[in-house]
Amino acid sequence: MSAGASAPPRDLTPAQPGRRGIRRRLAAFPAGTYVTMGILVLLTIYPMVWMILGSFKSLGEFYTNIWGLPHGWHWSNFTQAWDQVQLGQKFVNSIIATLGTLILTLPLCSMAGYAFAKVEFPLRRYIYYFVLAGIMIPFGVTAIPVLTTEISLGLFDSRLGLILVYAAQNLPFGIFLMYSFFQSIPNELEEAGLIDGCSRFKAFVRIVLPLAKPGLATLLIFTGTSVWNEYLMASVLIHQPNLETLPLGLVNFTTAHSTNYPELFAALSIVTTPVVLVYLVAQRQFISGLTAGALKG
Amino acid sequence: MVAPAVLLYAVFVIYPLFRGAFVSLYQWDGLSPTMTWFGLRNYKYALEDPVFRLSLRNTFQYAIGVTIIKNLLGLGLAVLLNRKLRGRAFFRTAGFLPVIFSFVVVGVLWSWIFNPTFGLADKVLQSVGLGSLQPGWLSDPHLALWSVMWVDVWKWTGFHMVLYLAALQSVPRELYEAAAIDGAGRWQTFRRITIPSIRPVIAFSTLLALTGAFVANYDVVYVMTGGGPLNSTQVALTYIVSKAFNSQQVGLANAMSIILFIGVAIIGAVQLAVMTRGREQPR
Repeated sequence: MSAGASAPPRDLTPAQPGRRGIRRRLAAFPAGTYVTMGILVLLTIYPMVWMILGSFKSLGEFYTNIWGLPHGWHWSNFTQAWDQVQLGQKFVNSIIATLGTLILTLPLCSMAGYAFAKVEFPLRRYIYYFVLAGIMIPFGVTAIPVLTTEISLGLFDSRLGLILVYAAQNLPFGIFLMYSFFQSIPNELEEAGLIDGCSRFKAFVRIVLPLAKPGLATLLIFTGTSVWNEYLMASVLIHQPNLETLPLGLVNFTTAHSTNYPELFAALSIVTTPVVLVYLVAQRQFISGLTAGALKG
Repeated sequence: MVAPAVLLYAVFVIYPLFRGAFVSLYQWDGLSPTMTWFGLRNYKYALEDPVFRLSLRNTFQYAIGVTIIKNLLGLGLAVLLNRKLRGRAFFRTAGFLPVIFSFVVVGVLWSWIFNPTFGLADKVLQSVGLGSLQPGWLSDPHLALWSVMWVDVWKWTGFHMVLYLAALQSVPRELYEAAAIDGAGRWQTFRRITIPSIRPVIAFSTLLALTGAFVANYDVVYVMTGGGPLNSTQVALTYIVSKAFNSQQVGLANAMSIILFIGVAIIGAVQLAVMTRGREQPR
């Protein structure tokens, strides 16, 4: 009520205490905004809730009780889905593809980004533009040509072939990102290291790289998410069922095999839950990581 | 230090483009060792193929439609969120959630929501008294493409919202104060101050959505409709992949890929040119 002190005395009469304050607060309460945001939240979250509830229902209940909570919680849907889709194997394949790509791209992008930013060598600018052009190439268009290339290299239908393609496609953006980070680090820091007797490589690893940690984190999230979610390249390049990544296994299973929907819902819930959990734990990094390309570009 | 990266990139990104252009001049099934010289006939066949032309038209409708809707919605939501608001962080987190999912997951989930027997979409219509409509969300050739486009909008609007929100927050406060002193209304302030200040982000966000929507629509279309019914949701990439795998016309599929690549490159270049010119001459 401290604001009332300067207000005209009639507002302080006991008959209408704080009424003006409430009205002012009501005016400041943006009802339209909250309704819009409520709809947004409902639209984004409710489909997930519906999916999770659906994966607990029995087959009979699934078609009759569309909105509601399940009458009994059928956990068996999850174990059956896990076995049917061989989710364990697909998880392992997706983890291998994602880690393999990261193990290649993080060092390669750091090294190349550093060299483009700090080391003088012939044709540096032109090679940098050549790599940067890759950001503008829509990779979907290259799917069939990449398949053609992989066949002729004997890499078709192999884990290595998939990882090499993922790594190569993620290089241009990664190099661009690391380049801009290294450029913002002053040369003096490195020179101080060199004077103290560090080798150039040691100076890079000990002094420059730690400063570029936020860049590496962004790169990790950006590349990791895009590889984990990738479907088109995997579907074109991988044909053995035991090499399928999660998106591939999920599509082949839902489109071909089963009409046991609660089980399919359970499979989808199993696949999405870890992603949601990682997102909720590291949402700040996720949001900035996935939008970083935009703000830097 | 750059050699390994450049080599990998050259072999798996650049070389395939040339390889694709080369193969597009041959008749080839993708397996047999012999390729028959075909000249530009693959390109002629591609451009004369009515389904390929339909798929290009669908690709355009899809890409331009979702680009406009995603950016308008994203900007609108960002404007709403760009003020002191209780729960703002929560709205941002929730709005961004669909961005992290793969199009496979999103497509499967929404094809269930649109399912006529157990789907949520029809149930929602029933509950507001429109149950008799029973739209064939994915089975009506006039509606199916729009349903798929909606899923794209659902997945990406949060991304553009976050982009625009960051841009709005970087507009200097003094500009708004000056406008308020000059007696500018809300709409005028938005048009004369907000829009010009965030123009680079608008350009980038639109370009990203447009080039993305041209070629990143394969997963969602394939999962939700497979290009049907009656090719009404057939986009260029789904058709190209089906040409390569189902009819083993790898030469033709490569020719179509090159056509699509050229199309996307031209559109990207034109759009970039238009939007950067707009930046150089204000208003």
